[in-house]
Amino acid sequence: MSEATTVPSKRGLQLRSLISVLLIIVVWEAAARAGLASVLFLPAFTKVIAEWWSVCADGSLPADLFTSLFRAAAGLLVAASIGIPLGIAMARNRLLHWMFDPVIALAFPSPKIAFLPIFILWFGIYSISKILLVAFACVFPILIGTFAAASSVNRVWIWSATSLGTSNVGLLFRIVLPAAWPRIFAALRVALPVSLITTFTAEMVGGGGGMGATLMYAQRFFESATVFAYILTMLGVGLLLDFLMLRIQEAFPAWSSPS
Amino acid sequence: MQADRLSYLWSPVGRIIPLIVLGLIWQAVSTFKLVDPSFLPSPARVIYAIGDLLTGHEIRDNLLVTLSRAAIGLVLGSIAGVWLGLMMARSPIFRAYAAPIVGGTYSLPKSALIPLFILWFGIGTVTTVCAVFLACLLPMVVNTYQGVHSTPRVLIWGAEAFGTQPQGMLWRVFLPHALPDIFAGLRVALGFSFVLAISSEMVASTNGIGKLIFMYGENGAYDYMFAAIACVVVVAFLADRLLLIATGKCLRWHESSAGRELA
Repeated sequence: MSEATTVPSKRGLQLRSLISVLLIIVVWEAAARAGLASVLFLPAFTKVIAEWWSVCADGSLPADLFTSLFRAAAGLLVAASIGIPLGIAMARNRLLHWMFDPVIALAFPSPKIAFLPIFILWFGIYSISKILLVAFACVFPILIGTFAAASSVNRVWIWSATSLGTSNVGLLFRIVLPAAWPRIFAALRVALPVSLITTFTAEMVGGGGGMGATLMYAQRFFESATVFAYILTMLGVGLLLDFLMLRIQEAFPAWSSPS
Repeated sequence: MQADRLSYLWSPVGRIIPLIVLGLIWQAVSTFKLVDPSFLPSPARVIYAIGDLLTGHEIRDNLLVTLSRAAIGLVLGSIAGVWLGLMMARSPIFRAYAAPIVGGTYSLPKSALIPLFILWFGIGTVTTVCAVFLACLLPMVVNTYQGVHSTPRVLIWGAEAFGTQPQGMLWRVFLPHALPDIFAGLRVALGFSFVLAISSEMVASTNGIGKLIFMYGENGAYDYMFAAIACVVVVAFLADRLLLIATGKCLRWHESSAGRELA
């Protein structure tokens, strides 16, 4: 194709990415300074950064962030510790598969946030309800991924191991888990952003502290700079987690799933 | 063998049995008052509430409001997403400009933008539609980009050799090749559209199913709250299945359709 010859160098492309980000910030700042939008709608970028610094300095944003990340991590942990064993068990046992499959089929596509009022009713508005809702939201992708991974383990390996006298426990830890791990890891990677989204959303809807609750609170009092500061922080957290996941995958090439 | 003896369990009727068993356990728990019945309404009461809701207007009207908001956001987001993904895949310069914006918004939980949209658009349909739009946009962009970008050169060369005009490449090569990825993105986007529509209604709406569920919860009408949630689950399940069936029909020509299963 003719356009291949006009493609700029890699550095040129990176420069354009940088320009694009800078352009947004400049336009944002200029629009706010020129008074094109009221301060309520669009506080200047510099003001948002100043506000971000002040909520960081007084410790409220780090505390909220810690609360939210703790809830997301705890929920993900609960989901993984239920989803991975159950997924493997379902792949190895047809009766378990039969029992859980309809429930999963019904629950997987359902919007989990709709269950938040039930979780609040049962577990209050603080961390426990959030953690369990996150676990509820994350368990299905992990479960489905693990089930698919464990049921596609090469049967010949399992047969060979069994005929060489490997016990059931040995089969699990020496054959099934290692063979299925790349796809289980991929499922965990899918569940990670789900855990963050669910935590933030549940906090926004249900209150009870954390990033989402403070964000909604700031919006109700029309503290626009705080709203922007929190959104930018969430964006940063999302990017950071993406980056971390990428590094983990680079560090363990065997974990990347062959897709 | 065992598989034959148990095959009736895998029939459509057999697959409902676990759900019925679950309902019976639930009923037993509430009959024997293992859990405070005010916290866990019995299935009988929930089913009664479902019947009551289905005969009335409340659930139908609010569900329609939510579904139309989700649908508008989904359709707009998908169209814009496919276009953006296509542009990014075909133009390296456009990709360079758009990549940081797409990357940044991709990893941002979209519900975080709801407060911002409330500030900008107030409470109501626009806020919800905007949130759904953005949530659906990103998976469509990423999937379309991957699908178009991974088009093998052989396909392009082949089409060129058969005399396909450059403007025909889009419809004859790139989009058909990306179609499986686009449908995969659509399934993700469909799920997001429900989540965002409902959560945005819970915080920023005066109607819609999200608001309705929350209202029942606040008024202590827990049987109705469970019933409304059950309706949402069923609707989301049916929408997902319909999309899978449509995907199967549209991709019948594709090699992946042989191995595709409902899951």
